[in-house]
Amino acid sequence: MSSQESYGSRLPYKFLVGLVTIVILFLEAPLIILVIQSFTAESYLAFPPPSYGIRWYKEVLTSEDWLNSISLSLIIAAVVTPLSLVLGTMAAFALDRGPKKLKHGLQTIMIAPMVLPHIVLGLGLFKMALQLDIDDSMLAYIPAHLTITIPFVIISVGASLQTFEVSLEEAARSLGASRFWAVWYITLPIIRPALIAGSIFSFIISFDEFIITFFLTTFQRTLPIEMFSTLMYQVKPSIAAVSTLTLAVTAFLTAMLILRGQVTSGDKVIK
Amino acid sequence: MSRNSDQNYGALWLLTPTVLLYLATFFVPLIMLGVLSFARFEASVTTLGFYFDNYVKIFSDGITLKIFFQTVRLSLMITFWCLILGYPVALLMRSCSPKMKMVLLFCVVSPLLTSIIVRNVAWLLILGRTGIINDTLIQWDLISKPLPLMYNEFGVILAVVHVYLSFMVLPLFGALNSINSSIEEAASSLGAPYWRVFLSVTLPLSLPGVMAGCTLVFILSMGVYLTPVIMGGNFVLTLPMLITESVREQYDWPFASAMALMLLLAIGFMVILSSGVQRLVGRR
Repeated sequence: MSSQESYGSRLPYKFLVGLVTIVILFLEAPLIILVIQSFTAESYLAFPPPSYGIRWYKEVLTSEDWLNSISLSLIIAAVVTPLSLVLGTMAAFALDRGPKKLKHGLQTIMIAPMVLPHIVLGLGLFKMALQLDIDDSMLAYIPAHLTITIPFVIISVGASLQTFEVSLEEAARSLGASRFWAVWYITLPIIRPALIAGSIFSFIISFDEFIITFFLTTFQRTLPIEMFSTLMYQVKPSIAAVSTLTLAVTAFLTAMLILRGQVTSGDKVIK
Repeated sequence: MSRNSDQNYGALWLLTPTVLLYLATFFVPLIMLGVLSFARFEASVTTLGFYFDNYVKIFSDGITLKIFFQTVRLSLMITFWCLILGYPVALLMRSCSPKMKMVLLFCVVSPLLTSIIVRNVAWLLILGRTGIINDTLIQWDLISKPLPLMYNEFGVILAVVHVYLSFMVLPLFGALNSINSSIEEAASSLGAPYWRVFLSVTLPLSLPGVMAGCTLVFILSMGVYLTPVIMGGNFVLTLPMLITESVREQYDWPFASAMALMLLLAIGFMVILSSGVQRLVGRR
């Protein structure tokens, strides 16, 4: 047998790359177009915009309705993120360090809210909030958002704990550190990328959450709800500007998530 | 001190806060919906009890069941298109350079993290009556009146596929990545052409990922509310829209709860079906 061709080199690369390019265009082009349209200086949406400017950003950032909804969303996400990180990390530790035979069952229960359609979860939460008379308030939004963000923290931290070398923690403990300080100084710094990932997931999910909050609110409006009601009424360039602002926040956090995940897990995690 | 031997029940107390939270936000609300679904709703008054009124209504009012099956059909079509579009991406991600992989990963993960509403706005600007496509085509005199690109099933499917494609690609990539490529090398070195290796080695071995991705996308699609409302107007009705309307407009909690339970049953059925298929394939 002469020159052996490896399977990899025989992949129909060009065909595959062509297909994937189309898919990626399908994924990203609408967003790029949205961003371009948001910089229109006209009072209507057209592509490409006849003239450019930041007129609609000014309008959004000076409108009381938009600012109120943006700050409500930011406040909710800012409260939800740290709580979600702490509760989710505790749960992930319990699942990792607890009895092995219970792990699978418990894990299924702990991430169950993720699989439940949010429409059903929202319906149930709305009923519960009405019963307790806490609908249309933070007391309803925050536990509701936590329920959908915690599973993401459990999954990302849990995955990291699985590859974590427990002997490092045991070494610290054998040198006299208590369980808590061993975890604090050894384990948590090593699984930091997962902690960051969990926080970013929590923030974005809470910030973007629509349907559950939609059930829970009557007068208060989070950003997605304000966007939805504006959209149902009229499609104006301001909606493109707000969408772009939201996109910028989430894209930035996503980029951080991916870059940090790669950078930190490369040189920090001890193999 | 091996980890496997110690049955550390003490660690379980760390679950307490989350379990307490879930009790209030997840388990009790679900039980309440279950109880409500058997209540009776007459003249705007809900009477608790054990009635089958709501379930009978679902099957007999002529519209709910139709919308339920429409939701299932739409979800299946969305799942199908996600699989068709997602598989090539996962395949390329597996065999390209690490740098390229990061780029693809970013493209795939970013939709997962940008709000559904932003993506729907983007499609609205493209597919709408005065959207980019119609505007351009009219300007070029190719058509005289706008094409119906949204406010129909096409628009809804397109926009939902756009949002959920990543949920298909990630499990597919996971499954493809765990295949030992020496198996493919072996088949290939024995003279099998690429497509043959793909069909009889790669594809069957990636089946767990296919099933996981399809189940995930199907479940998500069954529950999607926002996209059908924005992209479908009132022309594409789905079960989540019906549920929302009956609670928010008619305050008919019992009927809404029954529909929610029906949605859960459909999803449960799908999960059992897919794990059954997986076991069947695994045994082979």
